[in-house]
Amino acid sequence: MVSRLTANLQLYGALSADEQRAVESLVVSTRAAAVGEDLVTEGDAPTHCRVLLEGQAFRHRTLPDGRRQIMSFHIPGDVCDLQGMFLAMDHNVTALTTCEVGLIPHARLNDVMEAFPRVARSFWRTSLVEAAIFREWMVGMGRRTAYTRIAHLFCEMVVRMRAAGLVHQNRCQFPITQQHLSDSLGLSAVHTNRTLQALRGEGLLSFQGGELAILDWAGLKAAGEFDQGYLHLGENVPMRLAGV
Amino acid sequence: MAADTSSEHARLIRKLETIAVLSAPEKVALAGLPLRLKSFLENTDLTREGAAPTECCLIIEGLVCRYKVLGAGQRQIMSLHLPGDIPDLQSLHLGVMDHSMGSLTAGRAAYLPHTAVRDLTDRFPNLTAALWRDSLIDAAITREWLCGIGRRTAHQRIAHLICEVFVRSRALHLIEEKTFELSITQAELGDALGLSTVHVNRVLQDLRRDDLVTWRGKSILVLDWERLRIAGDFDPAYLHLLDGAVSLTPRERPPRPVPAD
Repeated sequence: MVSRLTANLQLYGALSADEQRAVESLVVSTRAAAVGEDLVTEGDAPTHCRVLLEGQAFRHRTLPDGRRQIMSFHIPGDVCDLQGMFLAMDHNVTALTTCEVGLIPHARLNDVMEAFPRVARSFWRTSLVEAAIFREWMVGMGRRTAYTRIAHLFCEMVVRMRAAGLVHQNRCQFPITQQHLSDSLGLSAVHTNRTLQALRGEGLLSFQGGELAILDWAGLKAAGEFDQGYLHLGENVPMRLAGV
Repeated sequence: MAADTSSEHARLIRKLETIAVLSAPEKVALAGLPLRLKSFLENTDLTREGAAPTECCLIIEGLVCRYKVLGAGQRQIMSLHLPGDIPDLQSLHLGVMDHSMGSLTAGRAAYLPHTAVRDLTDRFPNLTAALWRDSLIDAAITREWLCGIGRRTAHQRIAHLICEVFVRSRALHLIEEKTFELSITQAELGDALGLSTVHVNRVLQDLRRDDLVTWRGKSILVLDWERLRIAGDFDPAYLHLLDGAVSLTPRERPPRPVPAD
């Protein structure tokens, strides 16, 4: 069984047995992180990359006046701070749940990427897909209604978690609060609450105790005007959910 | 730079030198990239969502944006690109375009075959790093705009965008003084910043009245850089320019060491 990291990299193209072995050799140690703990913070120049092996995290920045903007959510298999290989960190990544984090020394990642250019491309692709997700969020905040934004975010998370094998019977763990949702989508708490009620009321989803259940996938996709092209999963991941 | 480097290759090399240190052999290799020149008119699509390009598009002249149009016909402009930028660098590794790219002004592009760029990155790991760095900075700019739309006022957003284009233009050696072209309509600014045209117009008038900027036709003159920065809540750190790439910006903050894990 391959690790979550290898599985994530292979979403964008298969790796050879040698390349897989090289990727599997990257994580030298693991550590636990508590809920709310910063995995990496703005201004850091990390010496390691952190890959989420278990748990979820989110990327965010707080402006000088204290307003927080969440910029993405991360699931097992994601490297939280690949950017740190090349640039100083310009934002924070914080644990949403308790996490198990794998540490990859930059020097080791560099060696593997030099020896296996296709592995370098796979990692580079994950940076590019992440950028596509940021752009999609921008489109949402600039142009989509609160209702569409929330539905779109749930669609995105379900499709990404489905690709990572984390959706079971249309259910997945996504323990965000309404505050996280507001800070992700540029909405007020009241607006978020009301819109979430509407999505529930229409029987599209249930969202309780940190668990997201998709009750009507076609309906939720239509509500979110969701087209998964920007996730670049291609034909690798059939996106059918049970009962749809 | 080698005397036989074309002005088109020089644009690319200058761009990469704002974010990475290049060796002489790397510059020679970049100057040897095959390219196909093509002019474009204003408001023309250079590539469309769903396309699968086999070349990267290096901007030589003109202003280009990436955008997406939603079902209801509303457009979101997601980035602005200046000469030296490769706005569709992602097509090197992601087969299908998830957005469109169009010109805001007339200009000229140089198309670089993916095969040639991939070959170059396989031969020069440092060029892989430089281009990868560029894609990460592109993502950082997207995040900055995302923060702006989510959390900044209309005044801050517009001042911030003017600061960004100014600093990037300076770093790319496109301008020497404080005057730069921003050939963008108020409707296009609105599409980039999630604002109505009326709102954009009002804020631009305010910025002029407060003597932060003025403009003649499409040329914007920055009158008071310090106050414009403050108005835009602008910190150039997210552009990750190398020290010395632009004299206006303060040094990038020195990275804080991370405790050993």
